[in-house]
Amino acid sequence: MSSVVAVTWGLASVVEAEELLTLARRCGDVTWLHLGELPDAASEMASRFGVSAVNHVPGPAISGADTLVAALAQYCRTAQPRLVLLSQTFESRLIAPRLAGRLGSPIVMNALAIDLSGAETRVTASSYGGDTNSVYRMTGPAPHLVAVMPNALQPEPAATPTSPEVEPFDIGLNSAVERIRVVTPARSEGQRLEDAQVIVAGGRGLGNASNFHLIEELAEAVGGMPAASRPLVDDGWTDASRQVGLTGRITRPALYMALGVSGASQHMAGCSAAKTIVAVNRDPDAAIFRYAKYGIVGDCLEIIPELIRAVREG
Amino acid sequence: MRLVICAKEVLDPDAVNNYALAGRLTIGDDGTITQSAIPRLMNAYDEQAIEAALRIRDAGVECTITVVSVAADPSAILKHAAALGADEIVHIKPGADGADCAGVASLLAAYAGGTGADLVLCGRQASDDDQGVVPALLGEALGAPIITIARDVSLSGRTVRVTRVTPDGDEVVEADLPAVVTISNELGAPRYPTAARSMQARRMAPTLLTPSDLGLAEGELAPRVVLERMFAPEVHGNCQFINGAGPAESARTLVALLREERLLV
Repeated sequence: MSSVVAVTWGLASVVEAEELLTLARRCGDVTWLHLGELPDAASEMASRFGVSAVNHVPGPAISGADTLVAALAQYCRTAQPRLVLLSQTFESRLIAPRLAGRLGSPIVMNALAIDLSGAETRVTASSYGGDTNSVYRMTGPAPHLVAVMPNALQPEPAATPTSPEVEPFDIGLNSAVERIRVVTPARSEGQRLEDAQVIVAGGRGLGNASNFHLIEELAEAVGGMPAASRPLVDDGWTDASRQVGLTGRITRPALYMALGVSGASQHMAGCSAAKTIVAVNRDPDAAIFRYAKYGIVGDCLEIIPELIRAVREG
Repeated sequence: MRLVICAKEVLDPDAVNNYALAGRLTIGDDGTITQSAIPRLMNAYDEQAIEAALRIRDAGVECTITVVSVAADPSAILKHAAALGADEIVHIKPGADGADCAGVASLLAAYAGGTGADLVLCGRQASDDDQGVVPALLGEALGAPIITIARDVSLSGRTVRVTRVTPDGDEVVEADLPAVVTISNELGAPRYPTAARSMQARRMAPTLLTPSDLGLAEGELAPRVVLERMFAPEVHGNCQFINGAGPAESARTLVALLREERLLV
């Protein structure tokens, strides 16, 4: 069995860890490496997902990007895994390729599936914003690094649970010098789109910026969060924190209402994991209807006010 | 102050998207899209990286702006870079086997390091492979700090200040030069080339460099991540269309269905 290390830190999302551990188990014998404070549910999750060993590098010194890269490089040099898997997040999008550069290892991002055979690694990854999938062959010295797209697969517990020990792992590193100084930290604005159960998203079909309030009103009526496709954010109709898609938020709500959204792959990368998508679009051939369970063909400016009324009538 | 911007030529992603949505994208055995009608242009994020450099110059920083591309023939996008306002354009030609992201980063690092770049600006990712790893690999090779997903970049002495677009909102960070910064779409639309600039650009020839000019042997650049094939994933639609007598009836029907499924209260 190939040795596979699934790396996590921070862990904003339990589902993300479950997806990562599922894919890791399908690749080989899994060591779960966690940096920083270990979540309470970690032991139980490790067992349920068939992890062989849990290596824990205690925090809180492990936080900045320079320290994370140094710690992971140190770990990889010691443990010498065949494959290192990370969930693709805003942070790991920087950490993973830096680690590859530090180790001289090959790396593939946006992974959807992995196939290990001999010394080669084959990775299917999203490309052209999801319009295409690319299959890459990775060769060269281990470890091979792969960052896995959120929602690439459904988490699946192991057929036989394991009982891994949580072992503290001393990487012999206090902290690296952080070269980037934070002048003004980001201020989280309450609930994240990533955690929303209901999302109401607007697209170009809204016509102009002054109509975006319809999305906000419908979102309020259904108890969901408003969101937008990238063109709306680029044109300043709403804030960047509302952008769903490949270069925005990757969401997984129970209900995603897409209003005047065409359904370009780049946008769908951020919402195709929704349990139910409903769409309103003037064009019956719009791509969004290929993803939607329910659709209404029509002008969203006429239909959104009626949706608000219907919801409020309750 | 020496600003180096890394640029890549890509297939127009909107055109690829249109072909893909119509189910008419054709892909060759080598994994490349074969439609010759799809225009080739500069990766939009890289164009915004050039815009970021021009804004630094507009802010009064004395600097030279060099745009560099690693490819067999990037002459069209380098001309465009010159028309946008680059002082110098550089073409690095990889070896016969081409280069993967790591190879491209090695070549760019050898160039940027060897010419004393103070600030390297890159687009956050290329719209063809979406990998977005070259800037980080380049920063690691240079031993320089890397700041990603910028919406604003400014220089003050030997310090770069960057506003990053993070999932938790904007974050302002600083680092000492030399540094690598990646630019995101939130920077805003790039300017158009002026007629005068476009005329000048026609006379500007790119500096041509090979791996050996940069002190790299071809063996060091052997690709270890190779594209084997590409395909268009299938999406099977199964949409139930609601055809009410008008917007009000359709809306009421949809809301009733969602309530039945307990997706709405």
